[in-house]
Amino acid sequence: MFSTTIRQMLAHKLRLVLTTASIALGVAFLAGTLVLTDTMGLAFEQLFGKVSSGTDAVVRAEAPYTASDGVGTSRGPIPASALAAVKATDGVRAAEGTVTGYALLTDTKGKAVLTSGGAPTQGYSMPSDEKLRGDVELMSGTAPDSADEVAIDATSAEEHHIKLGSSIKVLFSGPTREFTVVGTVGFGGEKNLGGTTSAYFDTATAQQVLGTPGQFDSIAVSADQGVSQAELAENLSAVVPDGLEAVTGKTVAQESSDAIKKDLKIVGIMFMIFAGIALFVGSFIIWNTFTMIVTQRSREIALLRAVGSTRRQIMRSLLLEALLLGTAASAVGVALGVGVAKGLKTLMDAVGFSLPSTSLQLEPRTIWVSLLVGTAVTVVAALVPARRATKVLPVEALRESTPGAEKPSIRRAVIGVALTGAGTTVMLFTLYGGLAKAFFGPGLLAVMVGVMVSLPFAVRPLAAMIGKPLSWRGLPGELAKQNAMRNPRRTSSTAAALMIGLTLVVSMGVFASSLKHSFGDVISDQTSADLFVTTASAQGAGYSPSVIGAVEDAPGVEQVSASSWGEAHFLGAGSSYSAIDPATAGKVMNLEVSKGSLAALGRDGVVVSRSAATQHKWDIGSIVNAEFPATGQHRLHVVGVYDGKGWIGDNYVISLDEQKAFAGQQLVTSALVTLAAGADKGEVEQAIATALADHPDARVQDQKEFEKTASGSIDSLLQFVTMMLLLAVLIALLGIVNTLALSVFERTRELGLLRAVGMTKSQVRAMVRWESVVISLIGALSGAALGIGIGLAMSQALKDEGIKAISIPVPQVTMYVVLAAVAGVIAAIGPARSASRVDVLRAVVTD
Amino acid sequence: MTVTTTRPQAATATAARAEGLSKFYGVDEAAVWALDNVSVGLQEGQFTAIMGPSGSGKSTLLHMLAGLDRPSSGEVFLGDVELSSLNDKQLTMLRRDRIGFIFQSFNLLPTMTAAENIVLPLRIAGRKPDEHWVASIVETVGLSGRLGHRPAQLSGGQQQRVAAARALASKPEIVFADEPTGALDSSSSAELLGFLRNAVTELGQTVVMVTHDPTAASYADRVIFLADGQIVDEMHTPTADQVLDYMKRLGA
Repeated sequence: MFSTTIRQMLAHKLRLVLTTASIALGVAFLAGTLVLTDTMGLAFEQLFGKVSSGTDAVVRAEAPYTASDGVGTSRGPIPASALAAVKATDGVRAAEGTVTGYALLTDTKGKAVLTSGGAPTQGYSMPSDEKLRGDVELMSGTAPDSADEVAIDATSAEEHHIKLGSSIKVLFSGPTREFTVVGTVGFGGEKNLGGTTSAYFDTATAQQVLGTPGQFDSIAVSADQGVSQAELAENLSAVVPDGLEAVTGKTVAQESSDAIKKDLKIVGIMFMIFAGIALFVGSFIIWNTFTMIVTQRSREIALLRAVGSTRRQIMRSLLLEALLLGTAASAVGVALGVGVAKGLKTLMDAVGFSLPSTSLQLEPRTIWVSLLVGTAVTVVAALVPARRATKVLPVEALRESTPGAEKPSIRRAVIGVALTGAGTTVMLFTLYGGLAKAFFGPGLLAVMVGVMVSLPFAVRPLAAMIGKPLSWRGLPGELAKQNAMRNPRRTSSTAAALMIGLTLVVSMGVFASSLKHSFGDVISDQTSADLFVTTASAQGAGYSPSVIGAVEDAPGVEQVSASSWGEAHFLGAGSSYSAIDPATAGKVMNLEVSKGSLAALGRDGVVVSRSAATQHKWDIGSIVNAEFPATGQHRLHVVGVYDGKGWIGDNYVISLDEQKAFAGQQLVTSALVTLAAGADKGEVEQAIATALADHPDARVQDQKEFEKTASGSIDSLLQFVTMMLLLAVLIALLGIVNTLALSVFERTRELGLLRAVGMTKSQVRAMVRWESVVISLIGALSGAALGIGIGLAMSQALKDEGIKAISIPVPQVTMYVVLAAVAGVIAAIGPARSASRVDVLRAVVTD
Repeated sequence: MTVTTTRPQAATATAARAEGLSKFYGVDEAAVWALDNVSVGLQEGQFTAIMGPSGSGKSTLLHMLAGLDRPSSGEVFLGDVELSSLNDKQLTMLRRDRIGFIFQSFNLLPTMTAAENIVLPLRIAGRKPDEHWVASIVETVGLSGRLGHRPAQLSGGQQQRVAAARALASKPEIVFADEPTGALDSSSSAELLGFLRNAVTELGQTVVMVTHDPTAASYADRVIFLADGQIVDEMHTPTADQVLDYMKRLGA
């Protein structure tokens, strides 16, 4: 049985290649994702290990919880006076205060040194003790040791041609200052710290420009010879004043790398979803292939049954074939995965998520997970066709059978329609009938599965509709249409693979389009600003609060209302909040405050969204518990409820002053500018631009430009998602090639007959080509229709989150459908060629 | 070698002819000669049968004459056209426009109805079928009631009659039939052969048929005997018994 299986697999090389590819691509994506996340995880771990390698213990402020990343989640400062006690502690060889903060470098021409993907631009104090610097090493020049000296990371220096001795401006949260570059810094061989920019100052200067004189962020401690990190931390714990804690250097490094790994996990899950989609689509091809194998071999199977093979043996032989195929394909996939990991990294760099790298990590776990998943998908997909094979009756060995022409079952129709109907009903009820939003997802899934199940019934009408214009192409067109309708199940499962890809791409397109349109509406409806001061790059984290002063001073400006955001724990769970200027916000933002007012935000007030208020039954005066790492717990009073999510999407809104008090000074993310009466918008914009010449981290835009910038970021995200989904579409196209190749093989005699009675080779090719186009259009059109429906439903579901407009990107969807048709033509090239080369004599002569 | 009763008629025009036709498979010493220097003319308006034992090359000869296969050497003429000078497309169009085919089995497209199958070559050519002509053929073949059926719903005899109707529908210069009754019972065979005989007698159609069945050959005006790739003899207006006797002597 085993050798028969192998021989049968090798007999159809093209089929073997195509089915292998369809599984291997999905597995490659999965393996690539695992390799990439492992690699990046290790890279960050190494990086943090290096940077903190000289620090044996850290003294820092206690915090209610540790958040190593997130805006405004750093710990509170500690008094500089604590340093003396630390230095005097047993086992301490050296101790220095450290300060970290926002520092944006500019080049010698005053242009900002921006990072890709919004990576931080940081300033640090440079310890004078060399060991405390860890792997932060001077690559050239000297360490900064006076108030006008700075050392910068080697990448910034090289890429922006900043030479030693040159004078550059550095932007801070406070006033901009000018420094002389005295050195370039590397990080254990790397020229930058994970895509960020770094500026080093002597400790006193760092306190002035990055923090507050008299305060440190933490104290880094180096141990005496023979004193362990744990001992040191223990000694220090005994002496540090209340509110401070001492932890080992290792702990701090671990915290940082854990936080990064958490972020990477999200990236990993995102890629896993795409890999899952690719595998799902691939399983359709396996299903199709095995169905065809069973049909083709039914006589052979019947013969085996007639001579005494049991059903179990037939089933086992087919599943063995699936197992071999799945394992081989997955192995190919794992090998390709390393390449995919490289590709994904390049892609992420290109869209601006720059990440540090080390050599690619192929963990054993990656190999076995990929092999297992790929093989399991293949075997499961082959299960139904294999079961059908066991139902072949021995007597069928004696019958001459024409392949194909099975009719989809009634049971299938009932299940499909019921699922689609139930899903749609559930979705409509969540949107309009007050059913919980949580049911939206399952409803959506039911609709998708339902449509897939009932697609075979739509094949005939769809093919008839799509094929109508084909009648103009004469008989080849007519036959193409008939061939596509011939085996609705096969056509539908081939088209379904494409349908899934297109459903996802189109629904994302519709959603993104609605989002873009909503953004325009939100700006006009919810703000009355004339101009907007935004970050210089779309991905920029924010800009220095000192920008606001500069803009306020520009002639013609009436009012500037800044806003920021951050992360904190509300009711014990992490959530983001917005911070606004209560004095001015009410005039430039229309958040539809239904109770209380924005202006009431005082020292401990909070304005909450209508949805949060409803959920927690909050009213004016209710208490909301918030926790900030820097300052601990705060009992906030609800002073307002706002209904209009959109411009602001967070459940919690506090004042900028509160944010500064709770979390320390943060960057401004945007500011709304109104004009003085009679001022000319163009002139004022020009004046602000001039005022911002010294603040290259910010720029001024009018509404149109602002919308365009926002659309741009939505578009690049959409492009990224579309590119990922293209893999699924590519696999679907392999499926079309596979189906066509098998159909051509099955129809050898028919093709020979057609050739004998006068069909030319080019007519034969056209026939196969049009059949391919019909199949791909069935997939594309049903995918587009489903995608539009889902996209609209998603947009509608997020209406309360600010997606007010609904828009279908008609040209984009049309383009996808046209591309699918073109792809169908391309997929048909090979099968059409082999169809036209059918040996006429062999086909028509009965031997 | 035996001398037969009659000599060939010289009066009528030639619909197709072969000159010095050879076909071999394989190369050099391993070459197998299917046809060895065969020259033959097929008269217009005649029903010609080609007979011979298995492996005599009769089917190969038919395929060459019909432009389905290319000779190793020699020439085939259909009317004035020499077939080896044509490229694949020209040859295909010649088959489509000037030749009708009936094969032993699998003559019809399973997805099309009988009616659609009958006009298939015309539709391939993009020509409008001559309704009256097609109707009269359908009438003669006796398929009137079954035109809407698909091949799977027709008996073997009916399928072959559809094939015959198709072969005639485009008014070809010549109809080639390759063992058309090979898969039929005797009464279905008789119906089909009667139909072909009629087409020759009443419509002046030229028909060339390969068969190994002496009864089928007895419907023909002329029987050509092949053995070992060569024409060994021929017979005119034979009876089935005459053919059978001759075949026995040939050692079939």
